[in-house]
Amino acid sequence: MKQILSFTLNGSPVDVIATPTETLLDVLREKLGVTGPKRGCDDGDCGTCTVLLDGEPIRSCLTLALTVQGKEVLTVEGLSENGDLHPLQKAFHEHGAFQCGFCTPGMLMSAKALLDHNPNPSRNEIREYMSGNLCRCGSYEEIIEAIQAVAAGEYAPSGGKE
Amino acid sequence: MREVSYFAPTEVGEAVKLLDQHGEKAAVLAGGTDLVAQLNYYEIKPAALVYLGELGLDYVREEDGKLVIGAGTTIAHLLNNDLIAQKFGVLAEAAATHASPAVRTSATIGGNLGTASPAGDMIPSLMIMDADVVLASSKGQRTVPIQEFFTGPGETVRAPEELILEIHVPLLEGKAVFKKLGRRKAQVCSIVSTAVRLEMDGGVCKDARIVLGSMAPTPLRCVKAEAMVKGKAIDAALVAECAAQAVAESTPIDDQRATAWYRAKAGTALVDRALAQAAGI
Repeated sequence: MKQILSFTLNGSPVDVIATPTETLLDVLREKLGVTGPKRGCDDGDCGTCTVLLDGEPIRSCLTLALTVQGKEVLTVEGLSENGDLHPLQKAFHEHGAFQCGFCTPGMLMSAKALLDHNPNPSRNEIREYMSGNLCRCGSYEEIIEAIQAVAAGEYAPSGGKE
Repeated sequence: MREVSYFAPTEVGEAVKLLDQHGEKAAVLAGGTDLVAQLNYYEIKPAALVYLGELGLDYVREEDGKLVIGAGTTIAHLLNNDLIAQKFGVLAEAAATHASPAVRTSATIGGNLGTASPAGDMIPSLMIMDADVVLASSKGQRTVPIQEFFTGPGETVRAPEELILEIHVPLLEGKAVFKKLGRRKAQVCSIVSTAVRLEMDGGVCKDARIVLGSMAPTPLRCVKAEAMVKGKAIDAALVAECAAQAVAESTPIDDQRATAWYRAKAGTALVDRALAQAAGI
């Protein structure tokens, strides 16, 4: 029972055919060529598939595609604006907050949601909010520092580091 | 290719008719955080998916001295809800331990009941409040006390043509505490969990509810342990005896997370701490 799925992806309207058992992750990667979100476990534990749905973090591997009808999805591809990296991306880069990079899209999306909800999180609040994103390379400390640096305004678009 | 039907009803009446039509061949989908993992791994192969997310079941209200929680209320919404924070804080404590932030965005309290894991994080808090589960079908609604809702691991009294509509929580007195132990601090299925509620009058316990999670085929009311403290002055010695009794009523197993031996030991300590905290000693 294929259906046309219409939703907003990284700010632009998109239409795609989806079947009922396809997940949002399947549709993003296989049908729309959006490979930022990764398939790490397919059961919601690792966090590499994390995207934002109407501004909230979700597991795209656990979300059936047809349930995002009419909603807004943001992936890591949607973070940069006008060719500029998002402050979180700049901070991750400069703080060495990734090694293999596999967890990074999910980490960035969770971090964005965190700072959108709580612009000045404590270290413990960062750790709690990021607790659903696993990093097998062990870049946790650098990830926390990068998030702290953005929260402290070191990557503000109007000033700070370029 | 196997054809699966998909429905997104916008009214409960529509939804229950679909369940009548498809019966056991339909899977009901709320947050999907349990169901979709099963689909991804081909553990289940339903012929139809009935998505409940557009039924408007995400709400928390106070009516006649009870909290009425829509089954579709997400765990994230429970965490941010003022009524829950003010009147049923232990549920928010439990919600904070459930999976991870991204899973909590989608997971629902009704789904936690429907999945009926003995480790279900939201269940012990509901059981210590003598909550009722309201089920809807094309024949109307029926109310099942939560103590009678679970019949085994992953099994409930819900018939295939029924959906979980609401949970009614009487605002009972007393201090409630929830504790959960896992192999790590975040994103775990519990090794053992407990919720207790003690109604105290000075140092004397007027009434008690003690529930253990992950220690039996279903979340477990430890009724003999409850009887042990009811009407008694609570001190550390009684708390220790009661915690041991609670665990003695349970039937923990060995599984990939822990052994029965460990669960019994850790569970005793967990209940002891919860009781002491609830009694204020």
